[in-house]
Amino acid sequence: MSQISRRQAMAILGALGFGATAAACAGPGGSTAPGGASGPAAPSTGAITGKVSFAHWRGEDKAVFDELIKRFVAKHDGMEIAQDISTSNDYNAQALQKLRGGSIGDAFATFRGAQFKNFTEAGIYTELKDSQAVKNYQKGLLSAGQNGDSQLGLPYQVVFPMPMANLDIFDKAGAETAPKNWDAFLGMCEKLASAGVIPISWPGGDVGNGGQLFNCMIANNAPVDDMCAQIEQGKLKCTDDWFIKMLNQYKDLTPFVQPNATGTAVEPAQNLFSQGKAAMLATGSYHLAAVRGLGAKFPIDLVFPNTTSDGNGKYEGAYNATFILGVNSASKNQAAAAAWIDFLSEPENAGYYANQTAQHVSVDKVEYTNPDLKRLSPWLQKKTALAARFQFNNLDVRNAVEASATAVISGTSPEQAAAAAQKIVDERL
Amino acid sequence: MSIHPGTAAKHKAPDSQAAANAPKVRRRSPTRVNPALYLFPLPAVAVIAFFLVMPTLQAFQYAITDWNGFSAAFNYVGLDNFIRAFTNDSLFTNALTNNLKFVLLVVIAQTFFSLILALLLTKNSRGSILLRALFFFPTILSSVSVAFIWKFIYDPNFGLANSVLRTVGVDGGAYLGNDAQALYWVAVTQVWFHSGQMMVVYIAGLQAIPRELYEAAEMDGANKWQQFKSITWPFVAPATSIVVAYTTVQSFKAFDLILGIAGNPPKSSLDILSTRIYSTFANSEFGYAAAQSIIFMAMIALVTWLQRRLLRLTPKGE
Repeated sequence: MSQISRRQAMAILGALGFGATAAACAGPGGSTAPGGASGPAAPSTGAITGKVSFAHWRGEDKAVFDELIKRFVAKHDGMEIAQDISTSNDYNAQALQKLRGGSIGDAFATFRGAQFKNFTEAGIYTELKDSQAVKNYQKGLLSAGQNGDSQLGLPYQVVFPMPMANLDIFDKAGAETAPKNWDAFLGMCEKLASAGVIPISWPGGDVGNGGQLFNCMIANNAPVDDMCAQIEQGKLKCTDDWFIKMLNQYKDLTPFVQPNATGTAVEPAQNLFSQGKAAMLATGSYHLAAVRGLGAKFPIDLVFPNTTSDGNGKYEGAYNATFILGVNSASKNQAAAAAWIDFLSEPENAGYYANQTAQHVSVDKVEYTNPDLKRLSPWLQKKTALAARFQFNNLDVRNAVEASATAVISGTSPEQAAAAAQKIVDERL
Repeated sequence: MSIHPGTAAKHKAPDSQAAANAPKVRRRSPTRVNPALYLFPLPAVAVIAFFLVMPTLQAFQYAITDWNGFSAAFNYVGLDNFIRAFTNDSLFTNALTNNLKFVLLVVIAQTFFSLILALLLTKNSRGSILLRALFFFPTILSSVSVAFIWKFIYDPNFGLANSVLRTVGVDGGAYLGNDAQALYWVAVTQVWFHSGQMMVVYIAGLQAIPRELYEAAEMDGANKWQQFKSITWPFVAPATSIVVAYTTVQSFKAFDLILGIAGNPPKSSLDILSTRIYSTFANSEFGYAAAQSIIFMAMIALVTWLQRRLLRLTPKGE
């Protein structure tokens, strides 16, 4: 065997390194091509059998889905459904990469907003427009899963991101639960404060939950329905009069939220409400189960902070659909995955999910037996605005815009807070 | 009769004549080796190339693209991402400022605090050993647990800090909710979390100091400060180098603590470089996030190098 010098050996290792470099530079994009010029196709049909992976982030719903899986499997021999559950943050960050391979998430859920947009652009969805499932939904509640003419996802849950109210305290204080305008809302807060409780428990230290109040505050203040999309695009500005007016209304709320609200995490805020120390919890109906779990026994309703001065607002409330069901275009078992989505969308099964999880659903003709859901059901028929904060596709922009409200509560002037937010928006344009 | 080269090497030649008569050993050229030997490191090279070199190179490649993390299409944008970070992204410069402030705070506080702890607890008495264990205890906790414990302590409504203050009639603050103070409170947590570990490094240094030096110093009439300055400090100075370097890197990467204590995303007053990079990835800006990661890596390398240059703390005589 001939001998080589160190220099030659280094050259060989260098060549290997160069090879690794070349391999590394093969391109960041994966092999899955997005979309397809002809648009998404419907899920493939075939025998409803084999394994289906159902990817989502709601660990708290696992037991409910386990029961629904049992019922589904009982109807379809040879079916197996596994839940692939991530935390919501992980799901936001990694789901797309995982789903693209098709090995997990034959059926999956998506958040509304940026994630739905990203999944759409990545061509993850199949077309559900002509599916059996879509016929079961309330037509007016399907828009969050649409892209142009396509129905890519089925918005399953309906949540109301509006302050929840302890009706016992409201009765005791003689406060009205449906204030006609902003002055009436502030008057209601005054009455609650006079009754010796904190009018509003607001988790200002938690960006996600603290931001939900924004949906109510902006709904009737903004000049258009797609206000947040327009802010992101630079067509509307945080420094506009209507936005400053909204921030001034946040300032009006300062005496009515708990002391040091900007440092309060969501759990303590829930506790203040559950223990009857606060009359309202400014997060949303999605916390019903949590506050009941913390021991709240009082009747709960929702209150819409009506920001209009004359009571002639376009909206009477706000709603959102965060749990959007879809069938993965990369799945090898689309027929079974679609059958599972169809099954979840049947009123009986959707009703079971709703009543067990204390969440409303978009499926029509569902019978709500959960007392809280029953009481809040009239809100499904009211004119509610689809939660505006999820129009933002850029999370930095969303956080900056919402942070302007938090800054006002902590003492910054509305003009200064708006200017700081607009600076971030301008940088992202 | 020939002498085995190995034997010749092991024994001194009896005299110079014998050495002259010994057969010349043909030595293998030090620069020529059997090529088969180069096969042995190949598995290690392959592992390093695959798990270290390739991802690093890919990060460099992503950094000069506008790739969003999932699309097959992307453009090469040159140094635009790097320029953007410093010229048109106040969130990044804010995170950078926060991070530098946080590092400075923690390094100074943690170094002093752990040195003082070590000086107080260096004796092997039963009480000292118990206290050492107590101060070391936070180190064995996971950073997420620490974050949640301190999140509770700082809570303005139900938290320990304000509850204690209320018992003496003082209104506590919002702590993490106060943008001007939030970073300082997290720095307190970080110091609490890691000082015990650094205390152990200092104690090891202190226990290596010969007792005779102190006895001699006392006989010479040196007071405690003079003993510290002339004996203790020169011996523990190298440990300070380690403590400062370790604390710096640790504080730069306090990702889990910040995220645990401040939530995701943290508000801008608590955003540091690692959390900013995470937010940028989550915002589907992979190319830009990769560029931020490279800036982050370069900063840690630079600061570590500067420390090594400026902080050459070695015992006297070395």
